[in-house]
Amino acid sequence: MNKIVSAASLALLMAGCASHHPAPPATGQPSATIVEKAAHGAAARGGTAPDCQMESSVADPWEPFNRAVYNFNARFDEAIFLPVSRGYTRILPRPVRSSVTNFFKNLGELGNIVNHGLQGRISGSAHSLSRFLINTTIGIGGLFDPAKPLGLERLPTGFGHTLAHWGAGPGPYLVLPLAGPSSLRDGGGLLFDGTVSYSVNLAGLYQSDHAWALGTTAAIDTRSNVNFRYYASGSPFEYETVRFLYSNMRMIESGVDTALPDGCE
Amino acid sequence: MKNEQASRRYRWRRLPGRFAIPGQAGLALLLSLALATTCLAAPADSESPLGLADSAALRAMVFGPDPENLAPLPETVPTREMNIAIEGGLPVPDVFWFNRKLRVHFSEQPGPAPLAILIAGTGGNADSQKLRLLRRALYAAGHHVLTLPSPTFPGFIVAASSTGVAGDLYQDGLDLHRVATQLVGQLRGRKGDRFTEINVIGYSLGGANAAMLKAIDGEAGTLGIRRAVAINPPVSLFSTIGRLDHLLELSVGDNEQGFDRLYHDIYTQLSSLYAVSDAMHIDQDFLLGAAASVLDSDRRLAAGISLSFRMSLINLFFAGDIYTGAGVATDPQHPPRRGDSLEEAMRVLRHQSFSAYFERVFAPFYLARRPGATRESLIADNHLEIIGDLLRSDPDYYAQTNADELILDREDLDWLRRTFGPRLVVYDHGGHLGNLGEKQQIQDLLDMVSGRYARSAP
Repeated sequence: MNKIVSAASLALLMAGCASHHPAPPATGQPSATIVEKAAHGAAARGGTAPDCQMESSVADPWEPFNRAVYNFNARFDEAIFLPVSRGYTRILPRPVRSSVTNFFKNLGELGNIVNHGLQGRISGSAHSLSRFLINTTIGIGGLFDPAKPLGLERLPTGFGHTLAHWGAGPGPYLVLPLAGPSSLRDGGGLLFDGTVSYSVNLAGLYQSDHAWALGTTAAIDTRSNVNFRYYASGSPFEYETVRFLYSNMRMIESGVDTALPDGCE
Repeated sequence: MKNEQASRRYRWRRLPGRFAIPGQAGLALLLSLALATTCLAAPADSESPLGLADSAALRAMVFGPDPENLAPLPETVPTREMNIAIEGGLPVPDVFWFNRKLRVHFSEQPGPAPLAILIAGTGGNADSQKLRLLRRALYAAGHHVLTLPSPTFPGFIVAASSTGVAGDLYQDGLDLHRVATQLVGQLRGRKGDRFTEINVIGYSLGGANAAMLKAIDGEAGTLGIRRAVAINPPVSLFSTIGRLDHLLELSVGDNEQGFDRLYHDIYTQLSSLYAVSDAMHIDQDFLLGAAASVLDSDRRLAAGISLSFRMSLINLFFAGDIYTGAGVATDPQHPPRRGDSLEEAMRVLRHQSFSAYFERVFAPFYLARRPGATRESLIADNHLEIIGDLLRSDPDYYAQTNADELILDREDLDWLRRTFGPRLVVYDHGGHLGNLGEKQQIQDLLDMVSGRYARSAP
């Protein structure tokens, strides 16, 4: 039982990283597409009935729950997550921390291999598999990332992206405990990716008696790499702003046009 | 132009560590974006299509100084965050549960040294990008540095304001003085010799706050503030907010849809930035930085700048609405509580101007509170002239501004010249704070704060 709980939270936390990363580019030139899209997104037009209020495009039927979780996350972050992650950053020198980051990202390649495949992108799978093999061997179990200088940049993806790829809408906005902003689709994606990791049980890590320690480390590693502070803006509208930004970000990643419909000027 | 900006953004994104640890180019860009935060646009002359703002000034405000003109500063300095319960504030409305304590930052020198108290500009927190820049400069020059948020920052309003209605020069000065007195008392240490002297510095609205803080302290005599330096301060708050509102009208139009579209575009841009980054900030500095690549004309630059001010206004307007029960965006009988949706309030406030804040929250509150006050007297009270005699006679007040300063009209600029005389430096470029961090600006600042500033030949 213990193991299941820890594995579940592990999965959640580890997958949490994925939710902050861009979808892999269909073309293999990730960021260019995203930046292009962003730069020119405003020029595009689409949609049906003109809806000029930006917030209303975000479905949030579970808002009271989401807000409660958001506030919980803010408090947890302030009281525990952030202090621990700061201690971690203070104690461990940068090269060690980046090896920890590399290690977890390397474990995450499994999900990338599977999901690129599920999205029908065999080259993406092969790319991620190559990275995994190189980094696990030459990179000493994933502590280093020699694949990157060889031109194999990380192409993170997840089951949430797979669902989006096959046309699933994001579904309602969902704020996950600890992991933060998500959607029903992406939250489900995290669960799926976690389950895959747990089942494959790479190197026996995910089902060991020490999986909880690994999960905790992964969570701290993730937090220390995310430059965000709850309520740093002091704004009472932070929930609304983050919801909009997150949802919009995922639409951009999924290639959905985010421009306002015609008739709004 | 667009491509150039996109590729610049692309390089930025690709820096190792992304925003967390920007490289030099990224840093320069971040800085420059940061600079634009508290800014507004509009030169004294009206050569630009917008009438208020010339192209160079707008660009300086969004993109900042050229990297080769930047003063060399340490990347980081040791800084301690402090969350302090401030005495003398008001009860905290439930909806502001997260702002109970005031967050400030202290950078301590190993031995006794002068203390520089830095005050942020409109809506800025105690760790705004501009404050960080000033902190690095002053710390590197041997000062202890204590950074404070603007009295218009929601965290300050909630944790420290005695009224909940921000924006009054004198009242904000009193609140700042109470906060500074408590903090300095806590930091001074038992022996009391850690701070060899105390100076105050602020940028934008914080510059006016700094001058006021010294003036109030001179009467109260508690801190013994030695010098005050105002960087690009407003002169008449009323005139400045008028210019800000006007700039938005000129650049976006006064219809709500145009504004919503701009808002949407800029936030979409912000989203796309987050999509490729591990950083997520939603403060104005970052907002304007993100917006830079969609700001492809003077009009849109001006609009983006106006919008970044509006983001601050929305927050302080909301606070004022809650504290005074004005009922602009919230129901005074049933004020929102934590967990309530604030989307509707946000929509309402997004379309409110600075003047609306003055008319609907600020003026009613202060007219009721100050017997004999009139609308005109409130406007007059929010002009630096209320401490004009001190500013003219006391050699320890200094100021910096720019010839194309956008928050000043010609009359304001002349007033600064007459009032500060040789203790004012006027740079010929930069708009509002667009030259913050340049070698000359930093050198003059350090000279001013240590009392050795002498204006070179006119």
